[in-house]
Amino acid sequence: MLKKSLFYIGMLTLIASMILSACAAPTAAPEVTTAPATEAVQPTEVVATQAPATEAVQEPTTKKFTIGISNPFISSEYRTQMIAELIETNKEYMDKGLTNELVIESVDTDVAGQIQQLQNLMAKNVDAILVNPGDVNGLNATLEEAVKKGILVISVDQELNVPGVYNVGIDQKEWAKTSAKWLAEKLGGKGNIVQIEGFPGHPANVVRMEGVAEVLKDYPDIKVLASDTGKWDEATGQQVMSNFLAAYPNLDGYWTQDGMAIGALQAVIAANPPKWPIAVGEGRCQFLKLWEEVLKDHPDFDSVAVANPPGVSPTGLRIAINMLLGKQVDKTKLGGVNGLSFVIPVPIVVTKDNLQEGLDICKDKPDVYLLDGIMSEEEVLSTFFVK
Amino acid sequence: MRRTSWETLTTKYPALFSIILIVVALLINLSLQPNLFSRDTLNSNLRVFLPSVLLAVGQAFVILGGGIDISVGGIVSIVNTVLAVQVGLNGSVEKMWLYVGISLLIGIICGALNGFFIAVLRLQPIITTYATSFLFGGLALFVLPNPGGGIPQSIANIYRSTTPLGIPLGFYIIAILILLWQYLRSTRYGSYLYSVGGKADAAYETGVPVTWINFSTYVISGLMAALSGIAITMLSGSGNAEIGSPMTLTAITAVVIGGTPLSGGIGGITGPIMGALTLGIIQNIVSFAHVNTWWETFVKATIIVVALAAPGIINLFGRRKS
Repeated sequence: MLKKSLFYIGMLTLIASMILSACAAPTAAPEVTTAPATEAVQPTEVVATQAPATEAVQEPTTKKFTIGISNPFISSEYRTQMIAELIETNKEYMDKGLTNELVIESVDTDVAGQIQQLQNLMAKNVDAILVNPGDVNGLNATLEEAVKKGILVISVDQELNVPGVYNVGIDQKEWAKTSAKWLAEKLGGKGNIVQIEGFPGHPANVVRMEGVAEVLKDYPDIKVLASDTGKWDEATGQQVMSNFLAAYPNLDGYWTQDGMAIGALQAVIAANPPKWPIAVGEGRCQFLKLWEEVLKDHPDFDSVAVANPPGVSPTGLRIAINMLLGKQVDKTKLGGVNGLSFVIPVPIVVTKDNLQEGLDICKDKPDVYLLDGIMSEEEVLSTFFVK
Repeated sequence: MRRTSWETLTTKYPALFSIILIVVALLINLSLQPNLFSRDTLNSNLRVFLPSVLLAVGQAFVILGGGIDISVGGIVSIVNTVLAVQVGLNGSVEKMWLYVGISLLIGIICGALNGFFIAVLRLQPIITTYATSFLFGGLALFVLPNPGGGIPQSIANIYRSTTPLGIPLGFYIIAILILLWQYLRSTRYGSYLYSVGGKADAAYETGVPVTWINFSTYVISGLMAALSGIAITMLSGSGNAEIGSPMTLTAITAVVIGGTPLSGGIGGITGPIMGALTLGIIQNIVSFAHVNTWWETFVKATIIVVALAAPGIINLFGRRKS
């Protein structure tokens, strides 16, 4: 019986795919037809770009740099914003004649798939690779190969411990500490709170929760009643918060992060407890707008939003280009395990006092827009490079 | 029912279409990436494709026997985490071999568990292996809650950069698999496997040990998943409990692209091997064709869908003509 139903499922999929392929065929076709042309051009191109990349270039106008991007996860607004900003920022340098179009490898894929992305970037003879790693250690050997080939490798958003690989990102622990400190002070160092965390075991979540715990250690009168995972998902965050509110109706506050804060606040709105807890929010326009709505009915409500900026990647692009141009990095400004990490400051913290400022940024942005900051060329040069 | 010659051909040689497909895909890839056949490029491609190839071979056995195994990703994860935790970044070669042996045993045990539920207790394969996939995935998470650990780089390099006689290691492994399969096919086990997948009831009545054949396909699948887990661990050099879960669907897609229908009883392992390689090559094509970033996923999916649908379309036209 099962075999038969499986067979039917297979047939249905086939039929559906035939319909799809019929509509989609024209898209695939041009790709094939362009092939011979590329073939003809390729050999000369390869020769031209084979020159060692990291050497200081005397006349930047003679050679344009090609920078590759590797991103293994596309279903998040953070990554979408990141890719869009990278393309945008690179245009500046293209106009100056410093870089070619970015070579972007960005599809949902696993560790082996990202290794393939990186290998393909190497095969395309890029001068630098910006990688947002999908695995903390799984790419190490491949990245080391790239470094050995003389490619400048920068890991953005997630710190890696690979010799020769630079990191550009915010300090995740400090990021979490900022909102945790704010919460502790708003509570006057006393009260009952709950925590909603991201994926247990995800490196960013682990260091963030460490940061929160470090802060709370200094406030012995703040009691963490419970902690659960909202899986960085709005709906799950809402569900978890509803359960917490049912169990602890007199909650004084809660700490949460990225994506789940909107769900948690919606749960509070739905439950409407006699005393509203002090809420940790997130730096997303949708949250700020919800916050503004809530304030109309509950003027005492208080929250904070610490931006987690996708702009670290375009900042990383600026750093990469300046390094390729042979400018000297001020090693004393770098941190991290290998002393190869560029730590980017959090661009904006929104509290009740500057909520309007945040809302102004959001005015012409979609709801999913994340409060952001890209360091300018001058800021990058004055912060990280030898003058 | 009249059969067109194409249909006759594909029934006789189930891998035929997949071989045509891989040749076409290779030619397109070659035109976009002229150094595709250089030793280093071939090797770096094969070492990435091999984990899916191994997984697809195991899956092919199960599907041939009329079942399906969606727990293989979980087995890959267990093997990966066990190797990463037990061998460690500074482990010795002896320790590595010991745990490679233990990994294979783990694969066999996991497969036997699936086989027991499905062949002996007669539970639904989809539901059972879906459930055990969480069992295995959960165990992996228990072994290694946070990504980390790993195997010594020198051992990883055996997998990553060995090219005996200038030919990448992957070629040898694939050749051995195909030879083993050709032998197995000619044995009694081979014909039993096809008869169980084709018509289990009839097979039972003619004295084929259906239960044991079914059971064995899951054990083989578990063993191949363990080999795949060893390969991916040597490729990445590190442990991550989530590493296997996205690989399951890739393996099943590879089997189907390779001309093995999910209804069972038809196909072999050559097709699925070609299917797994083709999926990797498709990724290369998308990568080298300078597809606009926002279209990359769509274009890749479209090519896969076309590849899946092509035999059906050819049959459709064949029928119209006759």
